[in-house]
Amino acid sequence: MTTALTAGPAAPAQAPVSATPRWPWLARAASALTVAVGVLGVIAGVAGLVHRFAPVRVGWLIPLIGLRLHLDPLGGLFLALIGAVTVPVGVYLVGYARREHLPPLTLWVIPAFVAAMLLVAAAGSVTTFLLGWELMALASLVLVLTDHRRDVVRAAGVFYAIVTQLGFVAILLALMLLSSSAGADSFAGLAAHAGRVSPAMRATVFVLTVIGFGSKAGLLPLHAWLPRAHPEAPSPVSALMSAAMVNLGVYGLVRVDLQLLGPGPRWWGVVLLIVGGLSAVYGVLQATVATDLKRLLAYSTTENLGLIVLALGAAELLAASGARSVATVAIAAALLHLLAHAAFKTLAFLAAGSVLAGTGLRDLDRMGGLARPMPVTTVLFGVAALGACGLPLGAGFVSEWLLVQALIHAPRHHDATVALAMPLAVGAVALSTGLAVTAMVKAFGVGFLARPRSPEAERAREAEPSMLAGMGLAAAACAVLALTPSLVGGALRRAAAAIPLGPVAASPAHVRLDARIRLPGVAGSIAPGWLAVSLLAATACAIGLSGWGRRHRPPRAAVPLWACGADELSPRMQYTATAFAEPLQRVFDDVLRPDTDIEITHHAESRYLVQKVHFRAEIVDGIERRLYQPIEGAVRAWAGWVRRAHSGNVHLYLGYGAIGLLVVLVLAR
Amino acid sequence: MGWWSRIGRIGRIVEPAKTGPVLAVEPPTGVRGSLQVRHVDAGSCNGCEVEISGAFGPVYDAERFGARLVASPRHADALLVTGVVTRNMAQPLRNTLAAVPEPRVVIAVGDCARNCGVFAGAYGVVGAVRDVVPVDVEVPGCPPRPGDIIEALRSVTGR
Repeated sequence: MTTALTAGPAAPAQAPVSATPRWPWLARAASALTVAVGVLGVIAGVAGLVHRFAPVRVGWLIPLIGLRLHLDPLGGLFLALIGAVTVPVGVYLVGYARREHLPPLTLWVIPAFVAAMLLVAAAGSVTTFLLGWELMALASLVLVLTDHRRDVVRAAGVFYAIVTQLGFVAILLALMLLSSSAGADSFAGLAAHAGRVSPAMRATVFVLTVIGFGSKAGLLPLHAWLPRAHPEAPSPVSALMSAAMVNLGVYGLVRVDLQLLGPGPRWWGVVLLIVGGLSAVYGVLQATVATDLKRLLAYSTTENLGLIVLALGAAELLAASGARSVATVAIAAALLHLLAHAAFKTLAFLAAGSVLAGTGLRDLDRMGGLARPMPVTTVLFGVAALGACGLPLGAGFVSEWLLVQALIHAPRHHDATVALAMPLAVGAVALSTGLAVTAMVKAFGVGFLARPRSPEAERAREAEPSMLAGMGLAAAACAVLALTPSLVGGALRRAAAAIPLGPVAASPAHVRLDARIRLPGVAGSIAPGWLAVSLLAATACAIGLSGWGRRHRPPRAAVPLWACGADELSPRMQYTATAFAEPLQRVFDDVLRPDTDIEITHHAESRYLVQKVHFRAEIVDGIERRLYQPIEGAVRAWAGWVRRAHSGNVHLYLGYGAIGLLVVLVLAR
Repeated sequence: MGWWSRIGRIGRIVEPAKTGPVLAVEPPTGVRGSLQVRHVDAGSCNGCEVEISGAFGPVYDAERFGARLVASPRHADALLVTGVVTRNMAQPLRNTLAAVPEPRVVIAVGDCARNCGVFAGAYGVVGAVRDVVPVDVEVPGCPPRPGDIIEALRSVTGR
């Protein structure tokens, strides 16, 4: 019996992108420029965090509106974050560009993309912000379309362009409405005159910004571009988009809704809580069943950004119900998780890029056994996966612990909304963390351990030294966030102080991320460094004791692995990613709606003998199918209807022009 | 009430134990009354399997003498092999024996396992169990009665 297994969307090996002449110095120069822009971002961010600067207006650069830059602690945190993500990516780019033959256009757009992101975070006015936002969107679109000769990439590019431009329209509307009703363009002016904005206008702006910034942050239901664009973009670009660009969605939410318009009414907090919670659970569920490594990581981004927005929503809700000291814990959790997610997601995408460069594979079902040929990449991906799990020694642990502490210590005796929302939020966080462990165990265990499942995986090559160096930098950031988050404590405290959580100017005590983290108004405390030391000591003790105990046991015997009596184990007997996720897929059948299909071919002589079994399973994003496709169909139908007016007759078109002119003249009379 | 009254009428259904065991080999674990057994069907007609399940059932109850069936040879002290060794099962039988930790015992159950029984000389038969792996205890019969299997097990468990 032969069994043809095709699972998941087939991920073809990426062919070398272009046949352009290879200029080694070009890749090095572009990488150096990227690193330089990143370092600049870090310096500007740190400067903004520690020092109070006056806004700078560069009038000559753009006529009429000028460019207005303002370094403040909140923008500084994001500047430093983007810069810190860019530096390892730039180092990594040296080797990656050589291995994957990235075309010159991509190489030079990467630093421009980073600069656009920095401009967004450094913007001091609505117009500058929107300019930076659109530059960022366009640059990222060019980067997504790097390998534009493939249909999948073009489709992903169109999808990404539509979502990102629709999001931009929402943001444009929101900020224009806000700016016109407050009568100011600069953020400082908006903050000063926010009181002029009517409640209805505030609500409109809030809803529009949640849609616009939510689409950039990959929140439900506008997350569908992430799992399409991230896998198809070159891996350093995926890392930049997933670890830096999506954070700007959060930045927009924090800047506009929490800082300029904040503190908002209670329902803002509830909306953020619901959107964040649903994104976290849905994202991680899709990550658990994904078989494409980069698609898995993209869905994990939706999950983590969902957790961050959930924390922001919890902070708003708690602040609005008077529990401000707990609200500061939630804010600290959101900001710290932002940093942690950036660190481990950069590393994870870079490691996925190393795998792609070393094997040409993205499909987990065809990987396996990469630990032997790619030991360093394996260890580094393990660091990233541990971070994404939210377990001790991982980068995401402290922030998720803070988030859960904030949620379970919410005072619920006098407020029905809080009493109902917080336990549900704890449930969402717990479920998404648990499923994240499953997804990451799958990605690491199936992808890197056991035996190679395909000839490509067998021929894997370790990444180049510069790629390893870039990943090493990101891994160091993960280690810092996991073991000594006190190093970023000051930055977080300054940025959190910029977010108002109540009507009174005097802000409550903020979370101090010292060696032992104590929470204001909450009994809990934790010392991640000591936790790591004690865990390592316990492991060392266990190894030492077992070595001591081994002296009394009989000598070891080497016997073959038990293969149920068969002579040898073959890679086909291994657990695949699809099989690993299958029980979960069954449990969440109603949400995931997998599309499975089994075809059995029998022998001609007898129905009892099976000649061939063909099994196909595909998991399409349910939201995409049930929400996007009807809308797409409606737009198509409408466009078809409108096309009837396009007969191709020049006289008719001239008539349209005349009618249009008449209408304008009558209206503008 | 029907079931309760029937149980009351029949009373104890376990066959009484015969007098003390006759040790064929030293208990492999060094402890009396503890033997983890992995069963291997090397090509049996399943007659012996029916009797083995009888031996481990409530009437003969082999577990009271310390013999227990386990699911993996890695957990086992003894192999309980039934049937002639067919060509397809010869190597798996050797592999299974290799997977049992030493010291270990092999018990061949049934006439086929002892001397190929009615299948001697058939085209798919490699030979009796002892032609493939070393055998410590043999149980004659086609199929052997559960009591005989119990006796063989007791000769290893020593209880």
